[in-house]
Amino acid sequence: MRYIFKFPDIGEGLEEGKIIEWYVKKGQSIESGDPLVKMETDKVVTDIPSPKSGILAVLYGGIGDTVKVGSALVEIDIPGVDGEAAVAQAQEQPQVPSQEAVDEKDFAGVVGTIEVAGDGAYLPSGDEGRPAKADTPKARKALATPVARAMAKDYGIDINEVTGTGPAGRVMKKDIETHSKSSASINIHVPMPLASASERTRIEPLSQIRKTIARNMLRSKQNTAHMSIMDEVEVSELVAARARLNEALADKGIRLSYLPFIIKAITLALKDHPILNAELDMDNERIIYKNYYNIGIAMDTPEGLVVPVIKDADSKSLIELTKDLKDLMERAQERKLTLNDLKDGTFSITSYGSIGGYFAVPVIAYPQVAIFGVGRLSEKPIVKNHELAIGQILPISMSVDHRIVDGAEVSRFVNQVLSYLKEPLLLLAHEGGTQ
Amino acid sequence: MTYDLIVIGSGPAGYVAAIRAGQTGLKTLIIDKKYVGGMCLNWGCIPTKSLLESAKMMKKVRSAHEFGIAGIDPDSLSFDWPQALKRTNQVVEKLTRGIEFLWKKNGVEFLKAEARILSPTQVQADKRVFETKNILIATGSRPAPQNLFEDCIDLEELSSLKELPQAPLLYGRGGNLIELAQFFAMIGSKPVILASKLPMMPYLDEALESYIQKKLKKDKIPVLLEAESQIKDGMIVYKGKEYPFDKVLNISYRKAILPPMDIELELENGFIKTDRSHNSSIAGIYAAGDVSGKGFLAHVASAQAMEVIEAIQGIVPPQEERSYPVNVYTDPELAQIGLTESEIKAKGIDYKVSQYPLTTNGKALAEGTSEGFIRVLYETKYHEVLGVQIAAEHATDLISEAGILLELEGTTYDLARTIHAHPTISEIYMDAGKVE
Repeated sequence: MRYIFKFPDIGEGLEEGKIIEWYVKKGQSIESGDPLVKMETDKVVTDIPSPKSGILAVLYGGIGDTVKVGSALVEIDIPGVDGEAAVAQAQEQPQVPSQEAVDEKDFAGVVGTIEVAGDGAYLPSGDEGRPAKADTPKARKALATPVARAMAKDYGIDINEVTGTGPAGRVMKKDIETHSKSSASINIHVPMPLASASERTRIEPLSQIRKTIARNMLRSKQNTAHMSIMDEVEVSELVAARARLNEALADKGIRLSYLPFIIKAITLALKDHPILNAELDMDNERIIYKNYYNIGIAMDTPEGLVVPVIKDADSKSLIELTKDLKDLMERAQERKLTLNDLKDGTFSITSYGSIGGYFAVPVIAYPQVAIFGVGRLSEKPIVKNHELAIGQILPISMSVDHRIVDGAEVSRFVNQVLSYLKEPLLLLAHEGGTQ
Repeated sequence: MTYDLIVIGSGPAGYVAAIRAGQTGLKTLIIDKKYVGGMCLNWGCIPTKSLLESAKMMKKVRSAHEFGIAGIDPDSLSFDWPQALKRTNQVVEKLTRGIEFLWKKNGVEFLKAEARILSPTQVQADKRVFETKNILIATGSRPAPQNLFEDCIDLEELSSLKELPQAPLLYGRGGNLIELAQFFAMIGSKPVILASKLPMMPYLDEALESYIQKKLKKDKIPVLLEAESQIKDGMIVYKGKEYPFDKVLNISYRKAILPPMDIELELENGFIKTDRSHNSSIAGIYAAGDVSGKGFLAHVASAQAMEVIEAIQGIVPPQEERSYPVNVYTDPELAQIGLTESEIKAKGIDYKVSQYPLTTNGKALAEGTSEGFIRVLYETKYHEVLGVQIAAEHATDLISEAGILLELEGTTYDLARTIHAHPTISEIYMDAGKVE
């Protein structure tokens, strides 16, 4: 029988994916679980495995094509199934095949819900407050009156983004007027003749990753009450300790950066300040405290920001954290992160200082409640024993959701983190313990 | 036992509200002291249209020879008033039965009695007191009394006349008056209009008003102005000329009929004051139709009634008033929807008018009904159609196309692009839409 495999709903909120690479050819024999195609989704680039064994009869879509969830991806000829069984299989829900009867081969990260947490941290670039998109672009022609259409064209408004108040959600001229007024102050549209576009501007469609970043950033700013705190810490001891450790570990080919120390310091402090490792559930009027410490690390990639997560970071040694970081960083650059790498973060760190920048106001990876930013380490004059001296100054910036994190609490948290960074031996004092 | 809704009055506001209430599961009682269907069915919309049809038929038969029908002597024709009334009553009966059937089907109880509102939750009728959560007053209106003439009848009493007057004097204002004047003229009487004020139909565009004034002149129906007339020896003297009359019909502007009540409702010019949801000054007491002083048209009353039921169900109607067609069943008929030219001017909108006569329309010429025109008023930026006016034999039906166009914020381009069948009168829309 012929089995039609439809692009499965591989996670919450995903609507479409872009074909990056086909691993298979028409006529090829495949086993259940073999990767069929590499897809770029909102979140990641991931392999879609075959749900069935058989011969590939049809492949839908070429490289670069966008495939909607539920659209046919491939057709597989399965030998020896016919009659009622064929009918029954053909009627299966599109997402069912991907969740059953699939061999596990490298597939764990694809199926299941995807949390949007973990990819919200970034340096603000001043474009907060843009109006939220009414919906993801619809393929269907928007229901609108002729005058509303003409007006939308005139004003340069995408009519799909306008919420219609007419019968059945029809967009009326009043809706265009309201929309243009509400967006006028922040979204001034300058009609651009297409001819000059090639000369002085360049137009590029948004990538899936960029769309996701944009959505998450806005969601964070709209749903939380950001509050930020900044401080400096003198870390000469940490600089020296790291140098000695790196010297000792050189023959093993291990080189520690400052980040593992910061992760250690944060996970230790989080245990004393659980509200910073929590989530606010307004719908049910409760706070969810998390007794695990999954730390998202903001990473710059050519495609844009990703925030993979180091799972159970509190139970990992400096060396293990270094290895995890290296692995995630390499895979982020190659776009090989899985959805599993991106989900379940409980707190995030952005170390923008590695590129430059001293202080920042990082954006919380909603629904997390806090993000810790690390600025550039630099030598600065300090006063030590009533005398000027040269200090190693590490600036830090932290944003919290002020709805549930109070100012005093975050100050105490920062003090504790900075005390560990100032005296890294303290990290050792807590290593392996439960307190 | 408590009702969800008691409706007082069973005209096009009341009976529509009752049916809709029943359909949506409200326990409903409708009370009317006299008729099922109110004025619309019993002496308004339907009977007058039926009688007008008899008159128009007579006019057609009189010109039958033009269409190649020989053997009819126009002078031998006479109007059989009892037969015209009989046919009218048959039409009315059929429609009333339809309403009663729909009430029954939807579980609505009907009581023929005079209702008295005792409190916002109590209505007395037929010596009983009914408890209710909501009350809808839909008692309509009647012509304001006049004091120029001792003896007069109104539209409701017309059907009780054994014989029709030869020279009726039609006093008042409005579309009904012109319809009736033409009715008498078509059946061979000599009607005289005594207009209480001009324009006769202030709600219509001036283009339609002046068109019908010319038509009356052409049909030799005198229009006398009350302010410049005197009554002398049973005759009207106007500009030095005497006009005899044998019966006065009062078709004055209308006045609300308020049901007896022990509560105090806020009034506005004698009509029950209502908000956008048709709630009166007392929560839970609604008013729709003529009694609320808005529209004075059956279809407007029905639309308001539907909104009352929605309001009871918690649905708030959109803030802006909706546009509705205004129809006058004159010869030819007049119909308009949307804004009039003076309303557009007052709003300061840049507009243009596309006017198209019926004299080049194939079907109109073939039918011998090429009197009339269409006017499409549109704003100049997007060409959105803001108003449409038609004078034509079937203008009252033709206007529906404009209704959809306005509801959907359509443009002249949409009119021009829509393929209209040929030959039809409706082609005038397409022609009028072809601008610039």
